[in-house]
Amino acid sequence: MILFQKYILPYFKQYKGLMMATLLLGTLTFLASCGLTFTAGYLITRSSEMPYNVLMVYVPIVLVRAFGIARPVSHYLERLTSHNTVLTILGTMRVKLYDALEQQALFVRSRFQAGDVIGTLSDDIEHLLDAYVRTIFPTVIALLLFLFSVIALAIFDWKFALWIAICLALIVFIYPVLSLYLLKKRRTDLKEKQGSMYRILSDSIFGITDWIISGKKKRFTEEFTNIRNGAFNLEKKMAAWNQLRTFQLQVLTGIILVFVGVWAGMEAQSGNILPTYIASFTLVTLPLLEGLIPTSEAIDHVPKYQESLQRIDHIQQYVYEQKEYESTVSLPEKPDIEFKEVNFTYKEGKKQALTDFSLQIPYGQKIAILGKSGAGKSTLLQLLFGTYVPDRGTITIGGHAPVEYGERITDVLGILNQKPYLFATSVENNIRLGKQDATKEEIEKVIQAVKLDEYIHTLPNGLETQMEETGQRFSGGERQRIALARILLKDTPIVILDEPTIGLDPITERELLETIFAVLRDKTVIMITHHLIGLENMDNIIFLDQGEVMMQGRHEELLAENSRYRQLYRLDSGEDVL
Amino acid sequence: MDKHLFRYHGIKPVMAVITILVLIQAIAILVQSVYLAKAIVGMYEGKGWMSVIFDFCIFFLALGIRQAAQWLKTNISYRFADKTARYYQNLLIEKMLELGPRILRKEGSGNMITLCLEGVPNFRTYLELFIPRMISFVIIPLVIFLYCLRLDRLSAFVLFFVLPVLMLFFVLLGWAAQREKNRKWTSYKILANHFVDSLRGLVTLKYLGRSKKHRQSIQTVSDQYRKSTLRTLRIAFLSTFSLDFFSTLSVAIIAVFLGLRLIDGEMSFLPALTVLILAPEYFNPVKDLSNDYHATMDGLHAGKNIHKILNMASPVDESEETEISRWDENSQLIIKGLAKTSTEENRPLLKNINLTITGFKKIGIIGLSGAGKSTLIDILAGFDQPTKGKISVNGVNLSHLTHRTWQEQINYIPQHPYIFSGTVKENVRFYAPQATDKQIEEAIRLAGLDKLVRDLPQGLAEIIGQGGRAISGGEEQRIALARALLDPRPILILDEPTAHLDIETEHDLKERMLPLFEQKLVILATHRLHWMRNMDEIIVLDQGQIVERGTHDELLRRKGKYWELVQAHRGGAGIDTLSKVHSSVF
Repeated sequence: MILFQKYILPYFKQYKGLMMATLLLGTLTFLASCGLTFTAGYLITRSSEMPYNVLMVYVPIVLVRAFGIARPVSHYLERLTSHNTVLTILGTMRVKLYDALEQQALFVRSRFQAGDVIGTLSDDIEHLLDAYVRTIFPTVIALLLFLFSVIALAIFDWKFALWIAICLALIVFIYPVLSLYLLKKRRTDLKEKQGSMYRILSDSIFGITDWIISGKKKRFTEEFTNIRNGAFNLEKKMAAWNQLRTFQLQVLTGIILVFVGVWAGMEAQSGNILPTYIASFTLVTLPLLEGLIPTSEAIDHVPKYQESLQRIDHIQQYVYEQKEYESTVSLPEKPDIEFKEVNFTYKEGKKQALTDFSLQIPYGQKIAILGKSGAGKSTLLQLLFGTYVPDRGTITIGGHAPVEYGERITDVLGILNQKPYLFATSVENNIRLGKQDATKEEIEKVIQAVKLDEYIHTLPNGLETQMEETGQRFSGGERQRIALARILLKDTPIVILDEPTIGLDPITERELLETIFAVLRDKTVIMITHHLIGLENMDNIIFLDQGEVMMQGRHEELLAENSRYRQLYRLDSGEDVL
Repeated sequence: MDKHLFRYHGIKPVMAVITILVLIQAIAILVQSVYLAKAIVGMYEGKGWMSVIFDFCIFFLALGIRQAAQWLKTNISYRFADKTARYYQNLLIEKMLELGPRILRKEGSGNMITLCLEGVPNFRTYLELFIPRMISFVIIPLVIFLYCLRLDRLSAFVLFFVLPVLMLFFVLLGWAAQREKNRKWTSYKILANHFVDSLRGLVTLKYLGRSKKHRQSIQTVSDQYRKSTLRTLRIAFLSTFSLDFFSTLSVAIIAVFLGLRLIDGEMSFLPALTVLILAPEYFNPVKDLSNDYHATMDGLHAGKNIHKILNMASPVDESEETEISRWDENSQLIIKGLAKTSTEENRPLLKNINLTITGFKKIGIIGLSGAGKSTLIDILAGFDQPTKGKISVNGVNLSHLTHRTWQEQINYIPQHPYIFSGTVKENVRFYAPQATDKQIEEAIRLAGLDKLVRDLPQGLAEIIGQGGRAISGGEEQRIALARALLDPRPILILDEPTAHLDIETEHDLKERMLPLFEQKLVILATHRLHWMRNMDEIIVLDQGQIVERGTHDELLRRKGKYWELVQAHRGGAGIDTLSKVHSSVF
């Protein structure tokens, strides 16, 4: 309910016009349906009295035709308007969600570990289309229809209207709420079972080699079949309830129709209505109930949307009021970097991520940082970007703390990550992200620098080639080169390389590194890496272990003085074998 | 039309029963409408409600029977669909295990899971809906038409002719909408995926300092997406509109015709009212059919995919016929003229491989990505079968190694060992469920996992894998190592076990793996050269062929491919060798 107030209600207010139009058209559709039956019933009854002139039934004839056309037309318009309304709302929600994620982009991975958060969230937004079109609109329309019919009936006989209101309330309120309550437990059970089905199956598909070698395929099949049968049995029970409910509601329809019929007959006898209207009143019950019965099914979907909204809400909870930091610091041209006794501990972590880390990187130096996973490499990176502020000690870039640059820190630091993201647009647009107003010549220059010009010019669409359709065409090395071109275009004085060659074979790796260091010759380069290959020309090599510096020095120094380094280097270069 | 439909087990009796139920329903509809009309006419003629209560009762009874038949119908078809779906899900899963890792990877492991978990329920929905809907669609309008023919010929004809027109428009407009959708598919997909693409690339945008400005583009594209969706919907909704339009309008027309003829005295009140009540019922089955159209189509599609997978050729299984004896120091594996061609591209992956492997030798397979290392490993481990060639193990002739008795002798450590969703302990003893706690602790210590286990809040009982705590690549390898330590087998196959790890972890893991190599046949594929010193024989693969074989020293002396690789890797020989090796690779 809170979620409803937070994520649904505001849009009703924001898009009042569109909402009203949708609901109006939706109600009109059913009213036209009722109108058709009502006037048709009247028309036939009146005609059977054989009036001396056709003109006597002229009005009902016109009305029958009008309603006959109005119903499909308003239904069609309602569907279009409702989709337009919802898609507009979803657009706004996307922007909101984007804002929320944008704020915490650099934390998302650590905060929401499990699975594909991004994919799920974007699906969640799409699910809300159904929430409106299949649940909210039909329910509200049913309510309006309910009110309308009861009020219309009350004009003739308020006592009977009250009675019918109770009967209809069974359909509109009691059954939906009852089903929701009855199925609640089963739905949770089912979800849990489906979760284990997914877990077991993906364990078996991704871990198939282990199942094969262990010779325990049978055990798996049995385990899966057990859970599956449980889940399917639950679904069967839920389906059985749905079938029973439909039956009950339909029988209820029959009862209500008989009530209305008998009432109309009695009213006619006592002269309150003309007998010509008996057929109209009796028959109109059917299309009316047709509009009310789907409420139960519509409400059944509510828990599904609740989950989606909860996930979206979960992301929103981390959003805080951000004050726009107007940076007054001018961008340094050749900044030095200095870490001075930096200490840092993650809020949620217990261990210190960085302990008394000091390092000076004069402009233009090439630094390599190595370490096992969790050694503190990415913490360093986050600190440089100002995402985190050290608990103790200082970091300065060109004499200023990273946070002082505000958003403009990205004009000082460029980064090439492990798997740089390339967007589903053209190669040119991807490179252009580095500098929006780059000229054609500038782009040509950077692709030449990263040695991609020849390859790209052989492609039929050249720079206009879409990344999407070439998922296979661009290899790992080429993708890195495109990302590198982007960084080059951005032209930041400092470039961070975050394991850019992981997953590449040794020859591609070496070639890529050669290109990288050739094009970044004049810049400060901080390379996080897992191999020692190509580090011969680095100005400083730093080994981190649990947040502390374990080894440090130039390649030759370390090779001469440090036996551990020697060992690792020989292993890595394969020199061991020579 | 679905050619499999009539072949599902037990479908014929189900269809027969449903047909009978639909017939009962059709008759109940007639009775219900006639008696409702009678009651109304009676009351109109001034009879008290007491005298028409009998008609109302019959009406209500008929309605009850009709709805009961409906209830029974949905119940029966659901049961049938449920049973068939379970059966096919089992078949599908057995088939997947049979097909093995290679084909699963090719088809997309994620797709397979989706097909199993979402496709099967969709398939169930299709079976559940399609049969009763189809039968109702044929029978109910026909019965109503025939009855109307008796009451009023003109109305019956209106109903009769409107149906095909309505269907024609429905299909034509549906087809037009589909075409419109296909025509714009590419641009539509880009728009639809733009949001998720932006979110996935958010970190990159942030680092490029463009994330704030990108907000605008989310708004714009959302708007474009909405407009383009609405353009398509305008046409797509037309097909339902046509259905709605023709059915509602024909009811209106019938009402007007009836009215006009009543005025002229050509008809009486009762049959006219009956026809008016029946007319909407005539169109209900076709409306139901169109309402469930999408659900049905999704299910039909899923069904087709299920059959596609089930019809795939399984690897030949001769495990029952031949027994492969336990590998020992005198054992011999001979491979002659082995080749593997990729089925879909018809591209050779391995060509004319001849190999003799004996005893507890350590065999290194080296080559660049794409040289065929993994394919060879898959064949040696029995995950995949060669296209041609002869294999013999200890004198037993075989066409492939997909044998239970062969696989039982293998410990396999891939680049990314799979971590099952479960505790650390369950993961470690996957191969040896009977292992004692003491043995497990020992294996964990030898694999270097003790530190991790100590740091975990739940220790050995900590849940890892999917939905549990994430662990690093090095830790995954240690788990695999511990598994192998707990269940030692005479053959150890490793596929690129350390290339993705940081150098220190790699060093440590290597030290821990080497003792496991003793008294075993070891086959190790990698592009990390340092492993080669620990190998008795090195096989150099290039473009699917064995180009060199020998010990490390022999190969270096020969200054062939292996030497080139070593030089290129170390970068010592400069760009010259580099480009030479490269051009031979690509």
